[in-house]
Amino acid sequence: MQNKMIGYVMILAMLLFGGLSTVQAADGAKATNPEAAKVEKMIADADKARKKAASVEGEWRDVGKMLKKAKAALAKGDYKTAKKLAAKAKSQGEMGYKQAVAQKDLKMPSYLKY
Amino acid sequence: MKHLLKKIAMLAVAGGIAASAQASPEADREAFQNFYKNRFASVPMEEYPNGVYSIDPVGRENWEAIEEFPPYEPFIDEGQAMWEKPFANGKTYKDCFADGPAIAGIYPLWDKKNGMVITLPLALNKCREANGEKPLKYKKGSINDILSYIAYESRGQKTNVIIPKDDPRALAAYEKGKKFYYTRRGQLNFSCANCHLQNAGMNIRADRLGPALGHTTHFPVYRSKWGTVGTLHRRVTGCNKQVRAKPFKAQGEQYRNLEYFLTYMSNGLELNGPGARK
Repeated sequence: MQNKMIGYVMILAMLLFGGLSTVQAADGAKATNPEAAKVEKMIADADKARKKAASVEGEWRDVGKMLKKAKAALAKGDYKTAKKLAAKAKSQGEMGYKQAVAQKDLKMPSYLKY
Repeated sequence: MKHLLKKIAMLAVAGGIAASAQASPEADREAFQNFYKNRFASVPMEEYPNGVYSIDPVGRENWEAIEEFPPYEPFIDEGQAMWEKPFANGKTYKDCFADGPAIAGIYPLWDKKNGMVITLPLALNKCREANGEKPLKYKKGSINDILSYIAYESRGQKTNVIIPKDDPRALAAYEKGKKFYYTRRGQLNFSCANCHLQNAGMNIRADRLGPALGHTTHFPVYRSKWGTVGTLHRRVTGCNKQVRAKPFKAQGEQYRNLEYFLTYMSNGLELNGPGARK
């Protein structure tokens, strides 16, 4: 009876540790995949740049679309495409912000004669 | 001495820019209209409500042929039916707009109570909501029917935007609209003025850039490209997209203020909506 009990406990322990180790392995792969984490950060940074541009009404047309596509590429594991899109989105976000800030004050065109 | 003269000249230029940036709406309008008078000296002022067809003789021939059987006519009829059909509570648009349907001439107007620019589409939706009806969409769909009818009934009225002097917020809204108009935006780094003021009359690919003067007189407009009638804010959205800027919300503060400024620039011009364009 005691032997039977010990056997059940051992089977249960094996199942439990086996399951846990599978989950840990999957999480570990995600966490230890530096490329995925890097792309994720690039996308987050680009989104931050987009929001900063939008805060001064300077967001460009395609930045949001680029970020959507970058996220889809990341989900598919296409890191190269995702990185390229995120970098482009970040650059456009930054340029949109600079463009709007540079024109903070209204400057009337010289061809209008007052 | 040479140095001093240079400094004085620079100060004068800077002073000129600052002065025009803070000019009164009337001074703005005068400078705006004079620009076109000088650029298109042979075009009489009353031609500008016809948009690009006031300066493009070939395009005008096509447009005149289109106007023989106006593509916007069915929308006017639909709009008339909308105007006359009672809401679920038995009231009609007439209960909101006692002087209607010929009311386009008073819009956009400054609403002192709410401290904002009210455009005609916004006023129509406020009326609907006050009567328990769902608001209409601001770019496409049946709002264009009722706008077509109102525009048609308002033909011949003169654009007469008023910026009340007793509320500084009205002037501030006008100034915001003016700032929007002259601000470069989008990846192509174009302002509204770059196309429709500075380069009016020039070609952009196969299309002639129309003058901004009179831009607001003929909306809503049937565009062959759309295959239907659309609102002014739909058109502005398209412009912003074309320069690769993210457009703003139709009837949001930015476009309402822009409409306030742009319509003021056409003060004195006759309303001739709905229009037909390429």
